[in-house]
Amino acid sequence: MSEVQYTPRELLACVAARLIKDGESVFVGTGLPLVGALLAKKMHAPNMMAIYECGAVDPEPRVLPWSVSCSWTTYKAPIILSMSSVFGHSRAGYADVGFLGGAQIDMYGNINATCIGDYEHPRVRLTGSGGANDIASLCERVIFMGLHLPERLPERVDYITTPGYLDGPGARERAGLVGGGPWRVITHLGVMGFDEETCRMKLISYHPGVTPEVIQQFTGFELIIPDDVTETPKPTEEELRILREEVDPCQLFCF
Amino acid sequence: MSHANDRLFDHKLAREWKLKKSRAERDKRMTLQEAIATLVEDGDSIVETGFAYVRGPMAAYWEIGRQRKKNLVGIFTPGGMNTAWHEFGGLEGAHVAYVGVEMRGLISPFRRGVEAGTLKIYSEWSHGALALALRAAEQGVNYVACKSMLGTDLMRTNPYVREAKDPWTGEPVCLVPAMYPDVAIFHVHHADKYGNSRIWGPSVNDTAIAVAARKVIVTCERIVSSEDIRSNPYQVIIPHYCVDAVCEVPYGAYPGDMPGMYYFDRRLQERVVRIEWKTKESTKEWYEKYILGTKDHYEMIQLIAEEEGMNVLEYMKRLEQLSCDASYFGLGYWGVGGERDWKYEEVAKRAI
Repeated sequence: MSEVQYTPRELLACVAARLIKDGESVFVGTGLPLVGALLAKKMHAPNMMAIYECGAVDPEPRVLPWSVSCSWTTYKAPIILSMSSVFGHSRAGYADVGFLGGAQIDMYGNINATCIGDYEHPRVRLTGSGGANDIASLCERVIFMGLHLPERLPERVDYITTPGYLDGPGARERAGLVGGGPWRVITHLGVMGFDEETCRMKLISYHPGVTPEVIQQFTGFELIIPDDVTETPKPTEEELRILREEVDPCQLFCF
Repeated sequence: MSHANDRLFDHKLAREWKLKKSRAERDKRMTLQEAIATLVEDGDSIVETGFAYVRGPMAAYWEIGRQRKKNLVGIFTPGGMNTAWHEFGGLEGAHVAYVGVEMRGLISPFRRGVEAGTLKIYSEWSHGALALALRAAEQGVNYVACKSMLGTDLMRTNPYVREAKDPWTGEPVCLVPAMYPDVAIFHVHHADKYGNSRIWGPSVNDTAIAVAARKVIVTCERIVSSEDIRSNPYQVIIPHYCVDAVCEVPYGAYPGDMPGMYYFDRRLQERVVRIEWKTKESTKEWYEKYILGTKDHYEMIQLIAEEEGMNVLEYMKRLEQLSCDASYFGLGYWGVGGERDWKYEEVAKRAI
């Protein structure tokens, strides 16, 4: 049997999908998180419920939406809430997983989506929070997806747009935050989690063709690398078939 | 004249203004040009509605550009296609929850303005907190205590919100004051001539914004009878007494998405965001050609269609089919078994 061929983004989408359990509610951001969530629903999590910040809950998009609020994101949703309500429902306890992107994430899982460099004189001005801050403040656990480069994973982010564990153990509680905080970080090199005691980022698995040493080299801080790190399982033929034929047939995201 | 920011959280001023508005069922129809000319004043704060590039009042934004309004203060939750105003003196500052177009990326005029220090960011918000600021105005409360923004730099770079202790539990909460923008412009599917407005798809923050804002313009795909609205008020999100002007502007959300009617003009959006607005010079060229160089929204759409080598009706039909084949193939966007209540040819002919 020949080796299964896949692109890095396809692997990311599969890894994301596998982290969603059946019956969970998932607050979904745009791009790859959207692909991962749709893939999970078509694979092992048919009872997964997607929530979007435009207010749509559990839609049945027939094509891959282009935005978290477009005609397809709301298509056949049984209810479309207002924006304040959809975050209110998350605070009430109806959102299990939050799926986010961002420009930078640091060793405590804090995310920057506001600016690169000094806030007053930014080198690059980014989009700002959008719903990301609310999702990470209010959902039970948060999954981050992004590129893995030293400047993308610095020791401390230039600006905390979205709270992770802030400055370490107990900080979320002291700040009055509700949800459990960052849970997984999926990059094009590996999958990370957080150490329970120190709240610092730790490696869980490295993608095929990558080693823990390479991941450390591409990380801007000292990553905790436990002895039991494993290789990320490759996408299965079934996952790739559903991804290519049903979720993203036009290859909007997984090129 | 006070700065827009001095009016933004002034609940007394907002109430005084609204006490003076007529509650009568008055015919408020006017042209978009007239509505923008009379209701949008230089220096006003203007809040984005819908989901910015979904059911956003794009035709009205282009018209604001054509009329060269000055020094507006944007409230972006989300928003940003109109930040191109900045490079023509139209946008002085902003209150920002999000400016961008998701994975299509950042919006260059906004980015350039902030990086150069010419576009002032007055406050940073999360979507949820800014939604609550508008909702507080609608609910008639001075502020709300929420659990967003805590512990982050958003608190540090927003002079309006405050951290406090919940008097019952002692936990930290973020206090968000009620916000009252000067102007809001909405694009909706149906409105009657008095301003009662009906939509399909997400309302986002629109009901709250309609009550919070002092001056309200509604642009709609179609004006319907008041009897129609009264017979089915369930999708009505804006009541007539908030509304100052009603303008029939078919394709008013173009090049954005209008739920169930037409989809993003993806090619154009990608091109504008990634290429045409990449530099100050190229933005100027684009703006002069498509906005200042056209007399209205329809001349602009016609120009875009012709450049693609297409008849304008065919061009719009394609956007409609691309998008919501739901309404074309009877899959029930408008309700199971429901018929589409309009035909693109009819709307398009009246528009173009």
